[in-house]
This record gives sequence, structure tokens and C-alpha cells, in this order.
Amino acid sequence: MGRGDGRDRQVTVGPVDDAGATKLHVDMDAFYAAVELLDRPELRGRPAIVGHASGRSVVSSATYEARRAGVRSAMPVSQALRLCPSAVVLEPHFDKYALYSRQVLDILGDVTPLVEQVSIDEAFLDVAGSVRLLGSPSTIGAAIRRRVLSETGLVCSVGVAGTKFMAKLASTTAKPDGMLVVPVADTLTFLHPLPIGALWGVGPSTQETLHRYGLRTVGDVASTPLDVLRRWVGDASGVKLHELANGIDTRQVETVTREKSIGHEQTFEHDLTDLVELRRELLRLSTQVAARLRKHGLAARTVALKLRFVDFRTISRSRTLGEPTNVGKRIFEEVSELLEAALPQGGAVRLIGVRTEQLMPDGDGSPLLWDPDEDWRDAEHAIDKVAARFGGGLVTPAALVGRAPRRVGDTLNAKVITEREGRSDG
Amino acid sequence: MRFQANRDVLSEAVSFTVKLLPQRTTLPILSGVLISTTDDGISLSAFDYEVSAQTQISAAVEEPGRVLVSGRLLAEIASKLPNAPVSFATDDNRIVVTCGSASFTLLSMPVEEYPTLPQIEGESGLVPADEFSEAVAQVAVAASRDDVTPVITGVQLEISQNRLSLVATDRYRVAVREIDWDGSVGRSEPSTALIPARTLQEIGKTFGHNGNIQVTLVAKDDRELIAFTAEKKTVTSLLIKGNFPPVKRLFPETVENYAVINTADLIEATRRVSLVLEREAALRFTFNVDGLTLEAIGSEQAQASESVEALVTGDDTVVSLKPQFLLDGLSAVHSEFVRISFTKTDNPNKPGPVLVTSQTSKEQAGSDSYRYLLQPNLLLR
Repeated sequence: MGRGDGRDRQVTVGPVDDAGATKLHVDMDAFYAAVELLDRPELRGRPAIVGHASGRSVVSSATYEARRAGVRSAMPVSQALRLCPSAVVLEPHFDKYALYSRQVLDILGDVTPLVEQVSIDEAFLDVAGSVRLLGSPSTIGAAIRRRVLSETGLVCSVGVAGTKFMAKLASTTAKPDGMLVVPVADTLTFLHPLPIGALWGVGPSTQETLHRYGLRTVGDVASTPLDVLRRWVGDASGVKLHELANGIDTRQVETVTREKSIGHEQTFEHDLTDLVELRRELLRLSTQVAARLRKHGLAARTVALKLRFVDFRTISRSRTLGEPTNVGKRIFEEVSELLEAALPQGGAVRLIGVRTEQLMPDGDGSPLLWDPDEDWRDAEHAIDKVAARFGGGLVTPAALVGRAPRRVGDTLNAKVITEREGRSDG
Repeated sequence: MRFQANRDVLSEAVSFTVKLLPQRTTLPILSGVLISTTDDGISLSAFDYEVSAQTQISAAVEEPGRVLVSGRLLAEIASKLPNAPVSFATDDNRIVVTCGSASFTLLSMPVEEYPTLPQIEGESGLVPADEFSEAVAQVAVAASRDDVTPVITGVQLEISQNRLSLVATDRYRVAVREIDWDGSVGRSEPSTALIPARTLQEIGKTFGHNGNIQVTLVAKDDRELIAFTAEKKTVTSLLIKGNFPPVKRLFPETVENYAVINTADLIEATRRVSLVLEREAALRFTFNVDGLTLEAIGSEQAQASESVEALVTGDDTVVSLKPQFLLDGLSAVHSEFVRISFTKTDNPNKPGPVLVTSQTSKEQAGSDSYRYLLQPNLLLR
């Protein structure tokens, strides 16, 4: 849906019936780029891209001026510069983004404790309990936009609706620098003309299936009998699509987001074919992922390997373990085997990633009579303690000693992937 | 092909051949039972590349031949036939089964495409059928059901000299049973075989009668299999590949700290008290000079406790055990009293395992041919 460049923008002006529309979606506009421009005011009104100027870097964020030229998030910087040669490329500063994100969250926290942070630059709010104190949902939305601008200098867009799904659609439609209220009574009128891609969970393949059956809009999906949908796209997806297309979304704003997966990935400056080097990279990523699991007090039952080849073909291979682990050595052994099985079909590797899923609290579940990871677990716990006292990176696997961390895309991709993957910095 | 057979004999033979086949097979042909005439009767066999079953029964053969027919359908029909001799006759690609005034016409499947059953020659040794069957039932319950770890979904058979031991584990517990092994007929070198627990359980039930079971280990072209033969019935199973974990070393050599309890009393108390537990929760067992107290902290609404007479030797001990895991061991120990022994570990996050063995009376330890080792949970509160 939308082209993401603000040309389909719709906003609410004047009074509107917002009774019951208590779910708000607040989304920072071109967040990274906007933060960078705070320090470079002379660039305002010019196309700007956040990313590394060299190598294989991808666009993390782009101003609306750049988007109008066709630049999109996750596009290689080189391609973005071909589309928009006048764009300025700005180096990312992730620590700054985290700081501003925290500041915005604090503002949202003043409105209601029911804030669900979706990613660094977006959040859902349930303001049902704040209406009496602070005014109607649209009043609250407008106040949030004013406060964020005056206290941080950043602009955000707000969607106001009866469900999370509709609120998110509304904020996307209001971008940039706008607010859209979808009155509960108008939910279907707003929803039904949208293309089916607007529905959550409709990826390219589901979209293609539905197109094949002649469905184009959300309204088409809504008027298709549930039985038929289930036959076309499967039981679970069928039910979900049917509900969303009819404006039904029972998900609540959840203040504690449970992480569904933890992973790190690495884009290489030069494509790698050497198994020894790829394995070394896997060891590094596995060690990081495991440390992160332990830091969150979690263990994972499934480990997955992601590979992107030179031709951008991306494959993912996963394996379920007999018992959950957060031991880097174990994760490394499992993904190494996946790598050895997957590599022959590939060729040169452009990106490699390690992800862990099916997370559960560490030590949940009964102790085992014997534990294959026991010795390594003790060793890695000791490393955690050293890192906590003297800083990280002092004790690492011997294979990684003396190797500077990779640069390109390193910090960029080393993020906790939450259940809401594929967010875009809009 | 044309023959006549006794209804009960035929029905029993068909049901035996079909029982070990999986409910669903990828190849329809593998759901068939192959019937072929022999010199003095017929043989029935089924094979799905993993497991095979074959048996011979006597029949009056009028015309020799071979047919392949749907196993489940034939088993259903055979079990419901009236009490009269059953006759089989082929008619082109059909099989006509008549019994009394009932008559069935079944489609015959293409015999040429049916795989050849593994050929078993020689034997490795003999085991007493009743003991073997009991041992399988005692041990197989501890095998893992999680296909993520295929090696421990099997029961490990370990043969050395005149003993056969059966071992299974799901890493929460280990069950071991030793029985007599008569290896005088076969090779004498020690060997091991890892058999899918589900298959072995069926084998145990099938051969649980008097007499001996002939066991044969076969290694041929990279495929290792084991065969069990008794009473003109043979079952073969492919072995699970991989190394079974060395779990026998987890058992303590000696124990000084143990309790002796009436087995039936403990089983009943455990079942009662665990009624209030939530799924996967553990029971707390406190052993001291007054005996044993079982406590269940269920949810906020329900709690339960019960005391059982117990003779404790050594220190007072508290352990937290999953009731079903304990019950599996108690139900398999097959003695009036049971001895529960406690071990110690240095790891504060992992209590020492608990050992369940038989006890013929309060004072007299039973044979240690069956041993069940169980990992307790961490003590909460």
C-alpha cells in the first residue's frame, strides 16, 4: 500500500467523531534522517539519505524529498544515488536515535502507561483510560504531535482508530506530519477500497494467490466467504484475513513485548566463498547472539541460519533442538551444520545471519540427567562476568582473536529482531 | 492361486502381519499383505522398508500362487467372518474370499512391484519370551518421544556373554533391565542394537508367550537390522543409526541414603496428591524419621498432602519429582516394596538423581535387574 513518499496522504481536518477510537499509532517521520537533520539544518528541504557512503551499505532512512525520487529503505545506497544523484549521504548515529526514541517514549508515557513500543520509531497507545483526563482521542493525538515537535524538533504522524490494525493504516496514510482519525463507524468504508496488500500478513505470495482468484481490494476479501478463503490460503491465514478485512482485530496494546527471536546478521564488503571464513563469521555471530540471550535471561529451542547470495537470493534454514540453549558454542555447531548443508546450492555469500527462535526463560523446564552444553555454559557464564566487570570483547573464542569487528552494516544489522519484523523507518 | 484355511488361524495371522505397519504409508503398495503359498500352507508378510512381519500358517493349497491385498481391509474382514473355513481364489486381478455364505471380492495389487523382504539367516542368541516381554514394557516407557533427538527414541540392546540389557532414556530418566541371554548358538562377541521403542513395544506384546525368542543381528550393505523369531513368526526392524549416550555410567555405584516404601501405597498416594497439580508441575517428597510426606502446591485454589510409611536410612531428604515420571518407575519395578535411593551432586542448580529399585520386603533388597534413575527438579521455596 502507499508508495511511502507521502503522495497518497490523507489527514483529518476539523472535528470528527472519534468516540471509541481509542487506539493510537504514533510513527516518527523519516526518523533517522530527521534526527540527522537536527544537526544539519542547512540540509532541510534537500534529499538526504542515511547510510554509509561506501561499499555495500543499504539505505536506513531517507527524507521525503529523496523518497519522491524513488528512494526506499533497505535499497542499496548505490542504487539510491543513481535514482537521486543530488542526495546527501549521512553517516548513521544509532546512539543518538536511541536517545531521541527514549525522549519520545517518555512523552507517550505521560499520556498513558499503555504504550507498546513496536520499534525504535513507532508505538501503539491505548488511551481509553485517559479520555476523561486529557480529552478525546483526537485531542490527545494532536497534543502528542505538538509536544514531540516542541521538545525534540522531530515530526511524527498519528493514526487514531478503534483497533491497532486500523490505527497503523491511518498513521501510514497520514504521513508525513499528519494525523488521521478513522471513526469506528467508517472503518469499513475506509478499509474496503484499499488494495489487499494493506492487510497484515499478506505477503507477495498470498497476494498473488488472491489476485489469481480476482481479488484486488480489501472489500473483495471481505465479501469472499470464509470457507472459500480458507481453501485458498489455508485455515489460519484464511481466518485472519477474513477478520482483518472485516475490521476485526482483537489484539490489545501490550506493554511488555516478548521477544520472539534474537538474531544478528552481517553483510560482507566482499562476497565470501571460503567455508573457513564463513564459519568464523558464524562463530562470531553465534557468540553475540548467545550473550544476548543470556543477558535477557532467555534460551532458544530453534536456531536458524540466513544466507543471502550474490544474486540476492536469500535462504533460511532452521533446526529445532532437543532442549533450549543459550550457549554460543552449541548455537555455532548447529548453524555450522546448516551452513555445510546449504552452501552447495549457493555460491558466493553476501550476507550471513544467525537467528534464535522459540525463546523461553532460561532454566524453565526440568533439569536433565546430563547436559551436552554443561562445560561450555560454565565457560560462557564466566565470560559474561568478565565482560560485566571489564567490558566486552576481552575474552573471545581463539578463532576470533585479533580480528577487528566487521564494519559495513555491522551495527546496522546487529539488532534485536522482534516479532514485528520488516518495520520501515517511515 | 487357490487355498482354504481355518478362520481363527487366518485371522490371527493377518492381524499380526498388519499390526506393525504404520497407519499411513507413502507408497500405497506398502499397505498390502503379501500372501504366497508354501509346501504345506501359506505365508503372509508385510514390509514398509523399516519393519517387516512374516508368518506361516497351514492351509490346504489347491493351486500355488502369490497375491498382494490391502492389509487393513483383509484384517477387518478376517476378524468378522462367520465360523467356517475360509477359501481364497484369484480371478484375473481380483481375489474372491468366501466363508460360509459370505463372499468378498477384493482388488489385488501388483505383486511384481512389492519389495523383497529382508532375508534372515542364522541366529545370534535366544531370550526367554516372558522375561523379554516384561523387560521391554519396563524400559520402553522411558524412551523419548521427541523425534528431534532420534537416537534416544530407541531402546538400546546390549549383549555381553550371557546377559542382555535393555536401556532407554529421555534424558529426564533412564530405565535399565537385564535378562538372560543364551548366546551359545551364535556369535559370542559383545554387540549392541538400537531399535525404535514403538516397534519394540509391539514386538514385546506379540512374543510375550512361553518359550524362547530367537534374535538375529544382521549387517548387510550398510543397512543394519535385527530380527525376532518365535512360533513361526518373524519381525525385523531397521536399527536406528547413531551412538546411544553412555547413560549407564550415570547410575551411582553405591548409595548410603535411601528409603523403603510399600510400592502400591506410594503409587496410590502419588496419584491422589497429584490431582491438584497443574500440568508439568512436580510433587514435593519429604523423607525423614517420621516417614514420607507428599505435598502438592497446585494453584491458588487447591493444595494437597499425604503421609506414607517409609523406612529411611541415612539423612533426611527433600526432593521434587514429576509424578508421572515417578509412577512410570514405580509401576515397572514389579515388587511389593520399592527402594528410593538419593545421590548428591556438587552443582547447586541440579539436585542429585534418584534411583528406584526393587525390594522384596522392608528389609530385603530385591534383584537389581531393573533400575530406574530419575532427575529431580529444583526445589522451589
